[in-house]
Amino acid sequence: MTSVINLVFLNPKYLVLSLIIFSSMLIGLLILSEYIFLEPYVVSHLPSGTEFGFILIVTISALSALVLPMNIFRINILKKSKQKMGGGIVGSFIGAAAGACSCGPIGFAVISTFGSVGATATAFLTNYEIPIRIIAIGILVLTYFTTVKSLKIECKFDPNS
Amino acid sequence: MNKKGVTIGVIVIAVIAGIAASVSSPSETMNLDMERSHGTISTAMGSPILGDPSAPVTIVEFGDYQCHQCYNWFHNTKPAIMEDYIETGKANLVFVDMAFLGRDSSPAAQATYCAEDQKMYWEYHDVLYTYQESKIDGGWANSERLKAFATSLGLDMDLFESCLDSGKYSKRVQYNTQQARDHGVRGTPGFFVVGSEGQQQLGGAQPFSVFKQVLDSMI
Repeated sequence: MTSVINLVFLNPKYLVLSLIIFSSMLIGLLILSEYIFLEPYVVSHLPSGTEFGFILIVTISALSALVLPMNIFRINILKKSKQKMGGGIVGSFIGAAAGACSCGPIGFAVISTFGSVGATATAFLTNYEIPIRIIAIGILVLTYFTTVKSLKIECKFDPNS
Repeated sequence: MNKKGVTIGVIVIAVIAGIAASVSSPSETMNLDMERSHGTISTAMGSPILGDPSAPVTIVEFGDYQCHQCYNWFHNTKPAIMEDYIETGKANLVFVDMAFLGRDSSPAAQATYCAEDQKMYWEYHDVLYTYQESKIDGGWANSERLKAFATSLGLDMDLFESCLDSGKYSKRVQYNTQQARDHGVRGTPGFFVVGSEGQQQLGGAQPFSVFKQVLDSMI
């Protein structure tokens, strides 16, 4: 497993990509979930009772930063199909969408645009924010192990690897 | 002598009757100042003022009783603002409804005004944010629960139920929500800190340190 991670992330291109994915997802989700405010001052804030949500955001960002570059590596270097990329993207997207709505600007925009349907969707994503994020983490972990397994098998048969 | 005595007697009876009427029918004491505004915001239909009405700065909070970020602000930031600014007379606070999250949001906001009829607005407001549950429209703010909250505060239930069931304050809540939209509030909680030299908008459940900086610059 370590050798597969080394194989991908010893390439600086994928290490940079991973850092970009991690930092952009983390900062974006922390802003959407109101752990970071940009106006009128840049300030971070961890209200009591929201610690678990914070940990889930960090976990989703870290797993996305791990899984997505590995899948891109697999597609670019080994010229394999893009099918297995799906799990990483789905997991990242679900994890991000779970906390994006609620009573913030995105939730307000969704409800204003789509009316009662938007309100129902927003309520669902807010009410089940924690379980949805746990499911997203599960998808990302599963994608990680299947990607590692695939890379091990595919690299073994690739004479240039 | 007799004529003067009769006149004084009539005035005394009228004054006593007026006081008795105002005490015995709390539902009539709406006490709305239709001209009330803070900065560019009409707060006439909002909450009573919390704190000293003549304080130099007013915090206008736009909120939804089902919003968990409003809950976070209520429990994490508001207590320090109460202690350092509102109880010391440096600032006061007005709550204006932005009921948009779910079907129970508007009735919850209406219920606070039914409590205001019995001079218990802030007590009821505090109860809603104390007992808020995490699920939007999950039943914690349905009609039965809103009435149960009123019972727990010792409100006159005949008055409260007739007020809530009639939708008496439905338009008031709609007006407040429109005020929020007109002022570019794009989520709850949203704040305007209004001083003599202008107003500053703050979005989200920001920490006390941000409010402190803004408030101190305006006092």
